[in-house]
Amino acid sequence: MSKIKKVWVIAEKESALAQLCAGGRQLGEEVAAVVLGTKEETGKAITMGADTVYWLGEFKPENRMEDYVKTVLELLKQERPDLLMVQPTKRGKLIAGRLAASMGTSVLVDAAKIKIDEKVQVTHLVYGGAAFRTEQSLTETTIVTVGAGVYTALPEDTSRQGNVISVDYLEPSNKVKLLEKKTKPSATVNLGAAKRVVGVGRGIANQEDIKIAEELAEQIGAEVGCSRPIAEGVNWLPTERYIGVSGAILKPEVYLAVGISGQVQHLVGVNQAKVIIAVNKDKAAPIFKHADYGIVGDLYKVLPLLIEKFKANK
Amino acid sequence: MNVISCYKIVPDEQDIVVLQDRNLSLERAEWKIGQYDLNAVEVGMQIVEAVGGKVSALSVGDKQLENSKLKKGILSRGPEELFLVVDERLGNADAYLTAKALKAGIDKIGSFDLVLCGEGSGDLYSQQVGIQLGELLNVPTLNAVSKITPAGDKLVVERTLENEIEVLEVMLPAVISVTTDINQPRIPSMKNILAAGKKTVTQWGLSDLGTEGIQKPTEILSTLAPEQVDRKQIIFEGDSEEVVQKLFENIQKELL
Ligand SMILES: Cc1cc2nc3c(=O)[nH]c(=O)nc-3n(C[C@H](O)[C@H](O)[C@H](O)COP(=O)(O)OP(=O)(O)OC[C@H]3O[C@@H](n4cnc5c(N)ncnc54)[C@H](O)[C@@H]3O)c2cc1C
Ligand SMILES: Nc1ncnc2c1ncn2[C@@H]1O[C@H](COP(=O)(O)O)[C@@H](O)[C@H]1O
Repeated sequence: MSKIKKVWVIAEKESALAQLCAGGRQLGEEVAAVVLGTKEETGKAITMGADTVYWLGEFKPENRMEDYVKTVLELLKQERPDLLMVQPTKRGKLIAGRLAASMGTSVLVDAAKIKIDEKVQVTHLVYGGAAFRTEQSLTETTIVTVGAGVYTALPEDTSRQGNVISVDYLEPSNKVKLLEKKTKPSATVNLGAAKRVVGVGRGIANQEDIKIAEELAEQIGAEVGCSRPIAEGVNWLPTERYIGVSGAILKPEVYLAVGISGQVQHLVGVNQAKVIIAVNKDKAAPIFKHADYGIVGDLYKVLPLLIEKFKANK
Repeated sequence: MNVISCYKIVPDEQDIVVLQDRNLSLERAEWKIGQYDLNAVEVGMQIVEAVGGKVSALSVGDKQLENSKLKKGILSRGPEELFLVVDERLGNADAYLTAKALKAGIDKIGSFDLVLCGEGSGDLYSQQVGIQLGELLNVPTLNAVSKITPAGDKLVVERTLENEIEVLEVMLPAVISVTTDINQPRIPSMKNILAAGKKTVTQWGLSDLGTEGIQKPTEILSTLAPEQVDRKQIIFEGDSEEVVQKLFENIQKELL
């Protein structure tokens, strides 16, 4: 694979910055990180693979990262990197989108794969996961968002040398005023690491009944995940647990879908599972076409029986 | 408040056919209103119901937009008026081209206080069009907004991020992209559907907006269905003890 010259990276989290720096090293000759944070954090970016750090300064609590879009935009226009990679947090998407609009291009979002063939070619899911689309930007600078797991961070190398360039802050023209920040209880689940996952869908009639799926999960040593409507809609489980094109994409050994119809947006999150098992009362549910084993039946009858059998078998 | 809610029509993914060479065929697909765009329409309705004003709907795309069922569909959700920008080139547009066309439509409509977009379109889900539009209109723009409270010439909004919720004050005019759990879109009644047929629909082409020259800055190289994993498809019917036993034995085998 040929290489491009200049790659820039922007991330909110250090772990993401490390992955993007590693990606930058694979794709380009020079990697520059745009860092808003402490002096130590600029040094960290260099040990993680950056050659240059554009230092926006220390983060001030009354500011938001988005306030720096104008500053970064001017820098981008001056330096014209070939590629800018951004971590797709909500903030990252906003920043990338605003930069792209001003640079006259679109962000190539959620890259699953990036390849250099003269231009930067980016592959990502479209149509709810029914297809992978490969696209390229016709502008000088390509802007992409790259999620966790596409690149693996390099081991930190404290002997690496780099350049830290301080950048002057430009006052934004459309500033939004921060009134308050509330912390959001965030669930710490790492579905991605689970070897076995039980997924619950709208076939579950009440929030309380999720217990039945949890009990089955416990019996087989699985994590509980869900379809999107269970997390965003009825809000019975945290967002972090929903599986699919806009949620978690998994590769477990066993996926057991309970009361899930099997729409493409959901299935794309599990279709790399080694084994898929489905419990659904509708024989025509699409999930059965994608299952290794299935049972056409009422989950309220099937699950208790299964749980009993696993218990008896211990 | 003068609100414009943006929606996109998309092919029903259940009708997408994967061809032998893994290309997709949309030929037989029914088109529908993007599910998450309905939240943007509903937010607009709730705001004008609270503080007065008007909601218009706006969409850009190709000829599919002219489908009268879809036009009625969006108007039955409440907007007073519908604006469409139709051009073949807008059928496979990226976020930048879409936002450019939306901006041209909005400039032609004249004034606005608030433009609303959904969390993501049903087909591309790039979550970018609202952001690009805000930037092109040179007004404040936010994504992930989960609550909006009008406050005179400003809005107070909550923005739900990964680990925190920001409460922000935004000057109008602004472009806001909302989350899917900001509301439950209303189901149109028979009366709403009948009334929708009588509302004004204005359709422009890119040349009516003086933007026939706009170009798409990205290029599609390929669109291919992922390779399917072969599945055993051993399906049992019924939920009696004996049938569940068979499923259990198979699961046991796989868990070993
Ligand atoms: C842009 C976009 C992105 C999306 N992203 C995602 C995503 O990332 N993840 C995701 O999951 N969805 C996503 N969706 C939503 C997706 O299209 C489906 O709506 C969703 O996956 C359906 O969830 P479900 O299977 O739980 O519910 P339903 O489709 O309502 O299915 C419920 C199933 O339960 C069965 N059932 C009912 N009662 C019982 C019973 N007693 N016993 C056994 N079976 C029973 C029914 O037969 C039915 O098949 C997205 C949609 C859009 C438009
Ligand atoms: N062609 C379009 N016409 C009108 N609004 C659109 C169009 N495409 C996208 N949008 C709006 O922008 C949001 C984000 O779309 P996307 O960036 O494609 O995920 C959608 O939820 C719509 O509200």
